[in-house]
Order: sequence, then C-alpha cells, then structure tokens
Amino acid sequence: MRRGVRSRETWRSLRIAAWLGWQVESNWADPFVFAIYSVIKPIAGALILVFMYVVVARGGLENPLFPAIFVGNAFFIYVPTVLSGISWSIIDDREHYGMLKYMYVAPLDIFAYLAGRGIAKAVIATIALVITLLLGVFALGVPIEFASIDWPLFIGVSLFGAAILTFLGILLGGITLITARHSYYVGEAVAGALYLFCGVVFPIDVLPAWLRWIGQAIPLTYWLEALRRAMIGVGASRTLDGLSDAGLLAIVAGSSFGVAGLAYVCYRLAERRALGRGLIDMQTMY
Amino acid sequence: MRTDVAIRTEELTRVFRVRRREAKGQKREVVALDGVSLSVARGELMGVLGPNGAGKTTMIKILSTLLSPTSGRAEVAGVDVVEDPWEVRRHIGMVSGGESSGYGLLTVEENLWMFSQFYGIDSKTARARIRELLDIVGLADRARTKIYHLSTGMRQKMNFVRGFMTEPEILFLDEPTLGLDVQTAKVLRDYVGEWMRDRGDRTLLLTTHAMHEADELCDRVAIIDQGRILACDAPVRLKRSLQRDAIFRLRIGALTDLESLIGGAEGVVRFAQTPREDHTEVDVILSDENRLPEVLGAIRNRGGSLLSLEKREPTLEDVFLSVVGHGFEESEESPQ
Amino acid sequence: MTRSTWTIFWRTVIGRAYPRIIGLQREKSWLFFDVFLPLLSVAAYVYIYRAIEAPPEFLGFVVLGGAMTAYWLNIMWNMASQFYWEKETGNLELYIIAPTSRMAILLGMAIGGIVATTVRALAVIAIGTLVFRVPMTVTSVPIFIAVFVSTMIALYGLGMLLSSLFLLFGREAWHMSELLREPVFLVSGFYFPVKALGFAVAAAASIVPITVGLDAMRQLLFPAMMSDLRFLPPEAELAILAGSAVLFLTLAQRSLAFLEQLARREGRLTLRGQ
Repeated sequence: MRRGVRSRETWRSLRIAAWLGWQVESNWADPFVFAIYSVIKPIAGALILVFMYVVVARGGLENPLFPAIFVGNAFFIYVPTVLSGISWSIIDDREHYGMLKYMYVAPLDIFAYLAGRGIAKAVIATIALVITLLLGVFALGVPIEFASIDWPLFIGVSLFGAAILTFLGILLGGITLITARHSYYVGEAVAGALYLFCGVVFPIDVLPAWLRWIGQAIPLTYWLEALRRAMIGVGASRTLDGLSDAGLLAIVAGSSFGVAGLAYVCYRLAERRALGRGLIDMQTMY
Repeated sequence: MRTDVAIRTEELTRVFRVRRREAKGQKREVVALDGVSLSVARGELMGVLGPNGAGKTTMIKILSTLLSPTSGRAEVAGVDVVEDPWEVRRHIGMVSGGESSGYGLLTVEENLWMFSQFYGIDSKTARARIRELLDIVGLADRARTKIYHLSTGMRQKMNFVRGFMTEPEILFLDEPTLGLDVQTAKVLRDYVGEWMRDRGDRTLLLTTHAMHEADELCDRVAIIDQGRILACDAPVRLKRSLQRDAIFRLRIGALTDLESLIGGAEGVVRFAQTPREDHTEVDVILSDENRLPEVLGAIRNRGGSLLSLEKREPTLEDVFLSVVGHGFEESEESPQ
Repeated sequence: MTRSTWTIFWRTVIGRAYPRIIGLQREKSWLFFDVFLPLLSVAAYVYIYRAIEAPPEFLGFVVLGGAMTAYWLNIMWNMASQFYWEKETGNLELYIIAPTSRMAILLGMAIGGIVATTVRALAVIAIGTLVFRVPMTVTSVPIFIAVFVSTMIALYGLGMLLSSLFLLFGREAWHMSELLREPVFLVSGFYFPVKALGFAVAAAASIVPITVGLDAMRQLLFPAMMSDLRFLPPEAELAILAGSAVLFLTLAQRSLAFLEQLARREGRLTLRGQ
C-alpha cells in the first residue's frame, strides 16, 4: 500500500509540475508573440552555424560535414533547455516566488517535481527542433527523408536521452540548491561546456586527444551520434565509426542508469546540506 | 516650501482595471480609493484604520509617489505628488509591513548603508545613525549578520531602521507591525511614539488594521472602508461619540438566524456577530441601555442560551461598527 | 540638510555597486560558472573553425566575439532585467521613493557587474590567445581603447534603455531578453565578420553597439584578414559608437522617466509575481 501511495505521489508530483512549468513558460504573452519567440531563437541559433560554413568552409553548405553537424546542432537544443529548465526552477521557486520551502513541506516527490518542470521546457525545445529541421530540409538542403529515418533507433535513443537530460538537470538542480542566485544559468553554462566536448558542431576527432577522452566519457556524445545515424544515415565523428547502431544505443541506455544514480546521490547530498544550512528559503538577490 | 499641512488629499480616487484574462465574469474595475479628502497637519501622527482591501496601501502608494491617482489631487510637503514626485521624495520615507526587500548576501549594516547612499548621506553620519537605531530596536548584535539569516521580526526591525535613518520629514508606515510578535511590535510602537515626541515638525501617517495600535499612537484616526473615509477624529472623540449608546457583548449558544432576531429588535443601533467554535459572539450597540431586556427576551423566546453578558466601554472597533454598519471581520470576509 | 543632486548621484552609484562587488567576493562560484564554463563554449566555436579548416585569424574572431558575449549577457541579464528582479523582491519601490536618479542606480549596477564581466572577458582572451595560438597584434592602441570604451558606454546606455521596459513590463520583458540572445549573436557577427550577412543587415544590426565595436576591434587586431571582410573603416565605426553612446544615454534617461510615470499610472511599479 505504501508503494501504491508513493507511486500516486510521484505521478501527482510529475503531473502538477508539468502543468506548473507550462503555466510559467507560456502565460507571459499572447500566443502570437509566444510563437514568434519560439521560431526566432532556434532559427537564429542554426543560422550562426550556417554562416560560419558559408563564410569559411570549402563548398559552403555542400561541405560533407554540414548535414551531420546541422542535425547534431538541432537536437542539442534540448540540452540547454532541459538542463536550465530544471535547475532554473529551483532558483525561480526559491528566490523569485518563495515557494520552494512549500514544495519541501508538501508530500511531493521532488525528483518527479523537477522532472515535471523539465517537461514544459522539453515541449518548447521540441517546437524549436521541428522548426530548425524544417529549415534545414527545405532551405538548406539537409537530406532528411521521413521514410528513411531509422525509427527504432530514433525512438530508443530519444527515450534514453530524455532520461539522461532529466537526471542531469536534477543533478544541476542540486548544485543550485546550495549556491547563490548568480548561478541561475548554471544549466546553460554546463550546456556550453557540453557543446565543446560532445561533438555537437564539430567531430570530436578535431579535439586534442586529452580532450577527446572527455567527450567519449559523456553519454550525450553517443546520443547525438545515434540521432544523426537515425536521421541521415551517417554520423560525424570517425572516432565513433567503430561502434554499431546497437552499440550506440546500448551505451546511451546503460549510461542513463548511471546518470540517474549519480544524480540521485548528488541531489540528496546537496539537499542534506541545504536543509542543514537553512538554504531552502535562502534569498541572495544582489 | 514649508507649509502647516504636511499631507493633503482632495477627492483622491484610484481605479484599477482588471485585465480580461483575470476578470472572467467578475468586475472589470476595482475602485480602491473613492474620493478621499484628508488633511494631516505638520507634527501630527495620523492613523488610517480599515480592514484588508479598504484602500490603505493604495493611499500610501499614491502619497509616496509609487502610484498615480485616477483623479483628484494629493500634496505632500506642499508638493503635488503627480507634478513633482522628485521633490516629494526629498521629504519622505516609507516602511511597509511583511517586506522581504534587501540583499540576502549583505549584512544588516551593509544593506542599511547602501540605502543611506541613495539619500546622499555621508558614510560616517549614516553608520552612526544606523548603529544608534539598531541599538534602539534591539538589533545591534545582528549588525554584521547577513540578512538571509534573519527572522521575519528581525527583518522588519531592519526595515524600520531603514525608514527612520534618513530622518524624513514625513514618514509613511504601512502596517509596520504586520506579522510581528507582541513584544517586537511593542518595541517598534514605542519607538514611533518617541520619534514623534523628539521633534515637533515630524509627521507620520500610519495605516493599520490593529485597533489598539491606532488607539495607542495616533493623534487622529481616519476610518476607511471600501475606498472611502467614513470618520476622522481623535480616538477619544470617536469613542466618546458612542458613549450616549450602550455597548454590550453577548455570547449566545445554539441559535441561528441572529440577523433577523437581533437586527429586528427595538433599540438596536448596530450589531456584529462573530461565530466561535461553540457559540456566537455578538457586539450590540443600543440606543438606550433599557432596551437590553427586550433583546434578551427575544433570544430566550427563540430558545437560545445566553452564556455571558458584559457591558463595555466603546472601542475603536465599536466606532468602526457604528460607522461602517458591520464588524471588522465581516468587512474582511466580504468580496470586493 | 539639503544634499546636492550630484552628491546623491555619485553616492547612489557607489552604494548600488557595492552589493555586486561584495557579492562576488562572498560567493565565489561565479568564477566557475561565469568564467570557466563560458571559456569552454568559446573553445567550441574555435574547433568549428578548425574542423572546417578556417584561417587562424578566424579563431581570433571567435575569441574576441566570445569575450564580448560576456558584456552582452551582462547587459541583458544583470542590467536590463534587473529592475524586474528588484520589483519582485520589493527593492524597486524603495529605489523609486528615494530622491535619487534611476540612471545612478543602473550605473552602480553596471559598474558592479563590469568587474566580473571583465574578468570573464580577459580570461577568454588570455586563454584563447595562449591555448589556440591566435595571432593578435593591435595596430593602434589609442584607437583600440577608444573603440572599446565607446562600445562599452553605448552598450550600457542601451542596457539602461532596455531596463526602463522592465519598469512597466513583467515576465514578457524577461523573455524579450532571452529572445535577444541568439539573434543578436547572429546579426552582430559575434562569431564571423558581420559583412557576411550583407551590408543592409550589418547596417541594421549596427543598432547594437557591439556590431560595429567588434568589427572595428577585429580590424585593429587582424588588419590583413579583415581588409576584405570589414563592414566600415574603424574611424567611421568609432564615430557611430560615439553617436550611439550619446543617443542611448539620452533615450535611456527619457525612457526611464516616461515609463516610470506610465507604470505609476497603471499601478505596475509594485506589481509582483508576474
């Protein structure tokens, strides 16, 4: 019975947090303005990459690297959005709305709550992703064909990738529990670092060997590579050529459990520290 | 420009328009202040008493240049608050109750020093004044504590010091003891009294819904409800106006529909009922003390039990009841 | 005792800069999140150019652009939207009723924030130059300094102008700050010479001081590579920056006064929880 109560609590926490996250994200403007905001940001992000290729790369957009890089960059939208969405919700609830303490007093599953807050961001990221991919296909000649997509690989790696991002966000949420407000963009800052190591916009082969191993130790590197193979049939990095599609999927799946465990431990440690130092309702705004 | 009138309002009105998304079938306009005309003399401690949502904070916001009136006029230190808010700010200070303002990473002293700089006070003078005031409010030992470690009461004490340290000519206190314990509230009230006595040219406008606070401190009290001033006079004169009436407090058990029973009885000027756990408390103002047996008889005939009866001296709450037509708590419960 | 407007102004600047500066010392995690991690992000763009075999000067473009993003983000988040946070915590009303200038408060914030931002920018340039062996030589130090200072003044003037929006708006303005990130990075040529976007787009993007500031600084650091890729001569760009500085500061002052009055009329100065 206790398990039943806890699972109802988990579901309730997830559901309410997803609703709350959507309210927070979407109620600030009328739908038209919100739509413009959702379109302009991802397109601008993609176009930075496009113009870098146009200005410098041999062959411009015909450069063989471009499609894989474009696809990787598009899916990477999820990373800063979900990571910052979850970690930011801690700071927002604590410093802005003064509600974090009430979340802790309530019979809430905090992990489900944080995951739920990430869902709204993920929905927005999905809109941005679709728009970016449509731009790539129809304006930039990126060869994505609906019929040719490896759907089993795509679905499998997407689900495990979502889990990795969620737990990573929770881990960062733990860090924000015990730091001052100016780390409000910790999610985006970490995403910036991942941008370097995970072969998002360049093959990890380009990195010096001593940095490459960092990329190879991060699950998101394999996640992106698998998504590229699922969408356009090729990856970006020669370093990962030796891995089959199933191998990539297995790495992503296995590491999702590892990240989950790490996030759980780190968050609980941070939480204990925060509770011990009375930081749950800390307001540091300066 | 020096004037004997520190604060003046003429037909001051403020209407809030509720946006369509929020209104959803409710009123689209909320009249927070409705033609308020008030005059506060230099050196006076004026209280504005009313329940939540009466318009007290709206009035303070207009007078402290945070909000413009919809119509009417307000002058502070002889300066129109709309035409020249900059000049007004040189003369005023404000303390609000239930505040969480300040920077958590800074200490009490640092927060206060920072605000003193916005008033151009040199650091040496500012620090001396801060130390003196912290000592008076009992926060001297917390001067070097970061404010996110402070309790609500301590934060409010700090806010108090912030309001007073700039030595304003005119000070607005908006429910300054809200949420504070009895002892802390008393310390702050005592300080307010001393501050006023210290210099005869200081003026203070205090909003509160604590009757005893208004009674204790204020030279005059304005009773406000639903945006209108209903009475304005010294507390003793307001209470005296009721002394020709007889005020009783009855505790009645096991009886419903007191509204028609007591309201319909002869000689009842006003009454207010407050449900308690196992009885109802009824405050009754009678035009003549001799009407009391009729009221008691009506209760007995209906099968009600009289648990206790006491005759009281009029309080400001009774004045409120008399002026407004219902009790303070009933006023807070009714929708706007 | 009456205090002069000037005394109140400069005391306010010092007072408001204080929490920013002291906060940096008391919570040092900003060194990791605001300096080290963004360095990695800049490195990513360097490697993009390496992957597509760009000339080494392009690495320099990215390093310089990465340094300047620190200032742009500081403007957007620690200045423009700061009034929104102050409103939410109840500090804004205390600023409003104080007999001091809003520009003084914003200037104090800017000065306080510029310390951390400059540390970040210098770290990016130093490490970028050393690690990636970017060849940088300043052809004219006085003009370079003039360009940088003008860019900063114009940029912070723009920040003050944008901050006035937050007196009136709530979360909508915060999202606008978010919106002004990638599009500005794109059209202002943070990572590639703005001329690649065409003269018309570059001209329109010049409304953001960093566009011409970056272009001018690149010309002074990489004159050979920029000879075909420049937007306007550095002297012309310096003139534009000077004009922008005056324009934005003037507009900011007027906008702050106007929007404060409007917010006061609509009852939004103290509206929280938006």
